[in-house]
Amino acid sequence: MKKHPMLKYLKESGPCGDRLPLIMCPGCGAGQILNFIFMAIESLITEKGYYKDNFVFISGVGCHARLTSHYLNFDSGWTIHGRTLAIATGALLANPELHLIVITGDGDTGAIGGNHFIHTCRRNLNLTIVCSNNKLYGMTGGQSSPTTLNGETTSTNPYGNFEADFDLCELAKTAGASHVARWTTAHPTQSIKSIVKGIEKPGTSFIEILSQCPTHFKRSPSEMLRDFKKQTVRLEKMDETTAGKIPIGEFQDIQKPDWMSSYQKVVHSAQNKTIQD
Amino acid sequence: MDHLIQPGVHYLQGSQACAEGALMAGCSVYAGYPITPASEVMEHAALRFPQVGARFIQMEDEIASSSALLGASLAGAKAITATSSPGFSLMQEVISYAIMAEVPFVIVDVQRPGPGQGYITASQEDVMQARWGHHGEGSAISLAPSSVQEMFDMTIEAFHLAETWRTPVLLMTEETVAHMRERFTVPPRESLSLAKRKKPQDLGIQPDEYLPWGHGVVAPMAAWGDGYAFNCVGLTHHEDGNVTKYSTEMHHRCISRLKTKIEGHVDEIARLETFYLDDCEHVLICYGSVFRTAIEAVEEARKNKGLKVGLVRMVTLWPFAEEKLRRCIETTGTIFVPEMNYGMMLHPITAALRDRCERIVSIPELGRLHTPELILSSLSRELQ
Ligand SMILES: Cc1ncc(C[n+]2csc(CCOP(=O)(O)OP(=O)(O)O)c2C)c(N)n1
Ligand SMILES: [Mg+2]
Repeated sequence: MKKHPMLKYLKESGPCGDRLPLIMCPGCGAGQILNFIFMAIESLITEKGYYKDNFVFISGVGCHARLTSHYLNFDSGWTIHGRTLAIATGALLANPELHLIVITGDGDTGAIGGNHFIHTCRRNLNLTIVCSNNKLYGMTGGQSSPTTLNGETTSTNPYGNFEADFDLCELAKTAGASHVARWTTAHPTQSIKSIVKGIEKPGTSFIEILSQCPTHFKRSPSEMLRDFKKQTVRLEKMDETTAGKIPIGEFQDIQKPDWMSSYQKVVHSAQNKTIQD
Repeated sequence: MDHLIQPGVHYLQGSQACAEGALMAGCSVYAGYPITPASEVMEHAALRFPQVGARFIQMEDEIASSSALLGASLAGAKAITATSSPGFSLMQEVISYAIMAEVPFVIVDVQRPGPGQGYITASQEDVMQARWGHHGEGSAISLAPSSVQEMFDMTIEAFHLAETWRTPVLLMTEETVAHMRERFTVPPRESLSLAKRKKPQDLGIQPDEYLPWGHGVVAPMAAWGDGYAFNCVGLTHHEDGNVTKYSTEMHHRCISRLKTKIEGHVDEIARLETFYLDDCEHVLICYGSVFRTAIEAVEEARKNKGLKVGLVRMVTLWPFAEEKLRRCIETTGTIFVPEMNYGMMLHPITAALRDRCERIVSIPELGRLHTPELILSSLSRELQ
């Protein structure tokens, strides 16, 4: 039998556990997202000479975070709920050669880690953030998250969500990330391209991927994927006729210095100053 | 010439000496958030870390700054932050994770009185939080410096211990020494003990044989970027790092191993200093800057009041050096415990020594350092 080409990035069974049985529910979008990331990394390694050992995956806690757990054949940290970006910040400061792939969720980034998210984008730290947005808290049983749509019923909104939902891409853009994009699991090619761009581009790249949770929404995965196609519209095609649709595409792509290159200037002037003193 | 502080005599604030000590220990990442009375450590780091070519970042809060230490350490760096009590509360989440995942770094707590925003003067009210503040079992190492010299020396010692035992180390200091300016001596570099964590590659362990907590009491630690496909988790884990087959027996083994790693090596980790114990009839036990006025009071009591009081200074607060204390105090009259709180270390001291003395007397002070007179008057009142 032919092996999936991305399996080389997973450990079949390592000292830390076996790959199978799979921990994700059938039809979960998280596996697709991991596949997109692997495809992006694969192309950077084979076409651009990127070095595999420099990739580090960091996640917090949640279903999406299980992507960085025991069977990943990369350096990784399965860390603290919401602290993902602050932890990645420290790793980047320790070793700016690392390509930090932060896998996060709508709750991890939008709620408990919201402040870290804002300030990571503001600093434009050289990180690639991939946010698996399933519009709820998958791991803890389908409670509402900050991206749960108004009117949606969840286990913590049994009477329907009456709060407004959050647009994480608009937030990242306003806060200053140099690259921001949104796709869905029904947009594999576009997602992969954005992740490649995010890794290559200095500064913060935030890529939100809407992902299906068939378990908690109690719907078939294929139906949910079809809906992603129907409910979304390319950002540049948004107009009065597309009201209520979810914009997808590239929200931001600007050139600006990332944190580390600005910091290097500080080091330079601090060192020259002491010598003169 | 490098940009590290040069050997010889210097005159700095305790906070500044601490930041200099960190650089001397090879620390390359400072992540912090301002708070009185700890900000001076951060401000000195802001000035000095770029000069040395190390990295400094002001984070958005203390959860973030301690989280950054975690990430920095996993990527192979020595990392430090300084905060004061309200910020220390926010760091407990990361301390807990770091105990479980065995991630070394140093947190300086320039304690201030609480609870709440409390006040901004001197305090030793977090000494229990240092041991019991995080959720779950396990413990970090806590040290209590008492001079500017020690703010320098013990920051280096903190890194030495963190790297040796793969654990967070907490430098539990007070506004007293943090804001004090004193002469201190930077020793020649060759004389410093500067342990660096063992890496699997140093021991010839290949990536496919590497066990995150195998290979000895303290497992070697691969850094992210080293090619070990090292997955760090904060969950209860088996000897081989496997987190998937949970059982209570596995939890017992994991936690008892973490506990033994620190508490089972208390004799190697913890330091006490003793004064006038040979002929003493009573003992005073103290730590941190209280040592400064306590030693003065004890000497005064011996010289002018004829009270034969000895002194034990706990340089290390946690792990608690129970056996060492029992070895140096076999039998005595009254034990005095002056602390800048209502009697916190009094509890483990009582548990350790209640059968070795007639009674134990707490000498509390809040919000400021005990004067020698306060301690002396307690000694005189109780012993005459
Ligand atoms: C400090 C803390 N609070 C709460 C939790 C419980 N918790 C685990 S995952 C999660 C929500 C995750 O939601 P999201 O980030 O959207 O991830 P998903 O599971 O949907 O992929 C929560 C609340 C925790 N682990 N730690
Ligand atoms: Mg979610």
